Amino acid sequence: MVWEPRIFKDLHQIPRVEHVFPGTPLCAGCGGLESLRLAAKILGNRVVYVNAAGCFTNLASFPFTPLDASWLYTTMGSAPAGAQGVRDALDVLIAKGRLPKEEDVTVVVLGGDGSTYDMALSSTSGAITRHLDFYYFCYDNEAYGNTGVQLSPATPYGARTTTSPCAVLHPVGAMQEKKDIFEIWRAHNPPYIATVSPRFPLDLEEKFTRAAAYQGPKLFLGFAACPTGWLFDPAYTPDVARLAVECGFWPLKEAINGMVTHTYVPKLSPVENYLKLQGRFRHLFEPTLQKEAIAHIQGSVNAYWERVNLAERTG
Amino acid sequence: MAGAARGAEPSSTNIKEGPAVISVRFHGRGGQGAKTASRILGTAAFSEGFTAQDSPIYGAERRGAPVSAFTRIAKGPIRERGIIICPSLVVVADASLIGDPAARVIEGIDERTAVFVNSPLTGEQLHTRISLPGRLTTLDLTEVAVRELGKRSALSALLGAVAGRLVGLRSESIDHAVAQELADLGVDASIIQRNQTAARHCYEAVSLVPVETSVHRGPGPTPLRVPAYEPPTRGTARITAGPNSAIRSVSGWRTYRPVLRPDLCNGCWLCFANCPEGAITIKPDGKPAVYYPHCKGCLDCVEVCPTDAMTVERETDVTNK
Amino acid sequence: MDQKNQMMMTGNLAAAWGARLAEVDYVPAFPITPQTEIVEALSKWCGTGELNARFVTLDSEHSMMTAAGAAAATGARVFTATSSQGLLYAFEVLYTVAGWRAPLVLVNVSRALASPITLEPDHNDVLAARDSGFVQIHAETCQEVVDSILLAYRIGEDPLVCLPVLVNLDGFGLSFTREPVRLPEPEAVRDFLPPFRPAHLGFKASAPQALGTAVLGGSTYSYFRHQIHLASMNALRVHEQAATEFEQCFGRRYDVVEGYRIEDAEDVLVMSNAFASKGKAAVDAAREDGRKVGLLRLRMIRPWPADAVRRALRRRRAVAVLDQNLSPGQGGILFQEVAACLYHDPERPRGLCSFIGGLGGKNISEGEFHAVFEQTAAAGKQGQGIGPVLLYTEAEHREMEQLQFLAHDLKTGR
Repeated sequence: MVWEPRIFKDLHQIPRVEHVFPGTPLCAGCGGLESLRLAAKILGNRVVYVNAAGCFTNLASFPFTPLDASWLYTTMGSAPAGAQGVRDALDVLIAKGRLPKEEDVTVVVLGGDGSTYDMALSSTSGAITRHLDFYYFCYDNEAYGNTGVQLSPATPYGARTTTSPCAVLHPVGAMQEKKDIFEIWRAHNPPYIATVSPRFPLDLEEKFTRAAAYQGPKLFLGFAACPTGWLFDPAYTPDVARLAVECGFWPLKEAINGMVTHTYVPKLSPVENYLKLQGRFRHLFEPTLQKEAIAHIQGSVNAYWERVNLAERTG
Repeated sequence: MAGAARGAEPSSTNIKEGPAVISVRFHGRGGQGAKTASRILGTAAFSEGFTAQDSPIYGAERRGAPVSAFTRIAKGPIRERGIIICPSLVVVADASLIGDPAARVIEGIDERTAVFVNSPLTGEQLHTRISLPGRLTTLDLTEVAVRELGKRSALSALLGAVAGRLVGLRSESIDHAVAQELADLGVDASIIQRNQTAARHCYEAVSLVPVETSVHRGPGPTPLRVPAYEPPTRGTARITAGPNSAIRSVSGWRTYRPVLRPDLCNGCWLCFANCPEGAITIKPDGKPAVYYPHCKGCLDCVEVCPTDAMTVERETDVTNK
Repeated sequence: MDQKNQMMMTGNLAAAWGARLAEVDYVPAFPITPQTEIVEALSKWCGTGELNARFVTLDSEHSMMTAAGAAAATGARVFTATSSQGLLYAFEVLYTVAGWRAPLVLVNVSRALASPITLEPDHNDVLAARDSGFVQIHAETCQEVVDSILLAYRIGEDPLVCLPVLVNLDGFGLSFTREPVRLPEPEAVRDFLPPFRPAHLGFKASAPQALGTAVLGGSTYSYFRHQIHLASMNALRVHEQAATEFEQCFGRRYDVVEGYRIEDAEDVLVMSNAFASKGKAAVDAAREDGRKVGLLRLRMIRPWPADAVRRALRRRRAVAVLDQNLSPGQGGILFQEVAACLYHDPERPRGLCSFIGGLGGKNISEGEFHAVFEQTAAAGKQGQGIGPVLLYTEAEHREMEQLQFLAHDLKTGR
């Protein structure tokens, strides 16, 4: 089954209106900000962003905010509970006639992978189970970026971070496999989950548009190529984001009521092309080529797509 | 390291006995190496037997945004902490920082402050463009970095060497400190050697200006004003004037700028879609335009442009923002 | 006793009634002994419609406090409750919501902290939260629980304060203890407690705001943190005004401190919470023995009512602070606060004594109070301080030795 966009078929359809304005304190070339900016074009400004501690906490730094929407910074571990409180309060106030219906806002949790994959998981699981009507936007840069790039549960095998260095005892860097948060969400049976990449802006805009039709928890995992943490020149943010998809490392997909569809069929170019662009994987190539580690990463990607192909043939 | 250093005799003539402290303030952009430079200077001074103290300060800003770092050197104990308000020497890694109010480069500079600026211009040429009261000296470190290291942003060893020379530390101390600090960062030995070579070159090439020690002088008690209660509409960290970040210029973050050649532009909007900052707008004719005050110079637009209509130019003129 | 309009109810049920009478909009909850009955009652009333509020069980106290603060920040009147480990699990959020200046009422049912884990009360849990920015009111009776919750909303929602309020009641001693409570009439409560319409809160489509933003630099942080202090200090006079109106509406008077037989007392015992009732009985007994003693009960812990404490304790021969908490390596927490506010008074007591009692719910017997009064009088005569002294009896010591024998020395023949 080939996934087809229903609305966004041409870049000129991308709304010109901005809701994330310039002048942010985030790094030049931030892939996460790129996704957020595109997402906000669909989400609009009738939004309250409930933020968890992370790089994006710097967005609203007194006295400046780049948003024409509302913002509430909570904690690292409980932004979804903050979303619960806001959503419930809005519902109650509207029901009691203390807030006009037209003043209602959409609740969007904004968290990094550190919060999303680990610390806020209890809070997230609770919110999904309660079928809270909210968006969860995770900018996934595969590390605790705001603290200076440490190993997070989203860090992939073979990546070097400051707490998973390439060392004599573990020359590969990170030894873990990236946690599959998409499947953890899917096991909770929310109505909508998607992965997005800013280098595929039409796919991103299409998914945010589609998600709006669903009441309940909606997850967006945004690939956040991170020049600072992944050690590449900021100019290559789009290339890293494109290659991550093309090599099959970051599948673009959605799950509607649990049914998974891959929204883009990648060429499955060798993962080396993707890895070589980034300083966090350089130790796999020099001073000595770590063939096994690279083969391991390629093997994981291949295994994933074999499962996908099998599922789509049989399903 | 420390064992060898303790026996060493202080060599510098700039650094005096008693409470006098040489205070060096480094200004850079995140990623340029200002923090490491402050450590190279601190380690070099320590290895010569001085008391040294170095520290960085981080804001919420990220790579590309102004950062500062501080080194204090003295013969006796250093009874100061934190930011340096009245520096003996200011080391500026990027001339564009001088005009950036967020960088606070000019703070506390008077006619007795030595100021080093990384710039291809001479001190006199720079003086005609910007007003800095201090004793100015310059050197084009970026050119050295590109030539010797192949990278425009790796300035730590060079900044450290220049600062070390100006405060009167020995070349060997800088050499040793560059090796130690870069090794701590996990830099390969071959690249450390190239940094040492580049640092020695800068150490020799920089024109000297006098650096004076500062003694903290208290001008009497500061008037205190305890804030009064405000209703929580203003009494809590809250912003209602959003989106107001756009009034800030991020021009100073750029080392390079994207420049559109309209004749080559096919109007595909990829650059508009991929600009993380939203610094690219679409004109009524459907073509993109870069609004420079909002451009951090990431050059993502250049990279995605399918027709090479986005080109790159180096930022040179400190006032052209 | 006039029993008209009174009901027998536990402190927990009284707390639930406080929320019901305040007509709260939202109750985020998480169970923990000995608090659970409060949210059970509220859950029931939300289900029957007797309380028009949304009740939600969160995944933890950390989430519960976040949801509570976020709902208050959106403009809802919020009630929640916890205890002990739960309060500490929510700890960072206490500071967060105080910083948002989001008024809500949190009931803490005091329970000693692990480890060793136990269920019975002391005040290390609630006093750990004393620096968070929450206003704190500590109740002695079930009646005071329901009344304090109404006062808490009134004070917390005042534009001069806009802070969350913690109302404390002791586990077991009040939580599961029934006594007569006179419930205020809902109509009268509506007169006393104006609707919640905070000017700085709410996330409206037409008026976006960023709340709880990051700040850069110490001067901005200092400014906003100090505002929390000023707001808390304002709560003293806001309480005064609210207490006066409360008395007019309901005929009961509450002050930030309560003096018991204190007017002519030479020596004064300082206590808080439910065991203050036992302290009052001990004062009566000591008076019968001819000792001129009285009791000062601390009702408002934050803001610290320094003037009221000083007025009550100056010119005494000796003062004993009986802390139902222990700061290891220091002693009693409230003792430090009492001592600090007396230091500059030229007529401060000659003797200042620190006793630690009732840890983990340990009883304080009449005889122990007797010992306290005796030692305090001696300290006053000699003009010296004593303590911290742990109230622990010979009999308890013998019992503990027996338990140690069973735990370690018993030969089971294995």
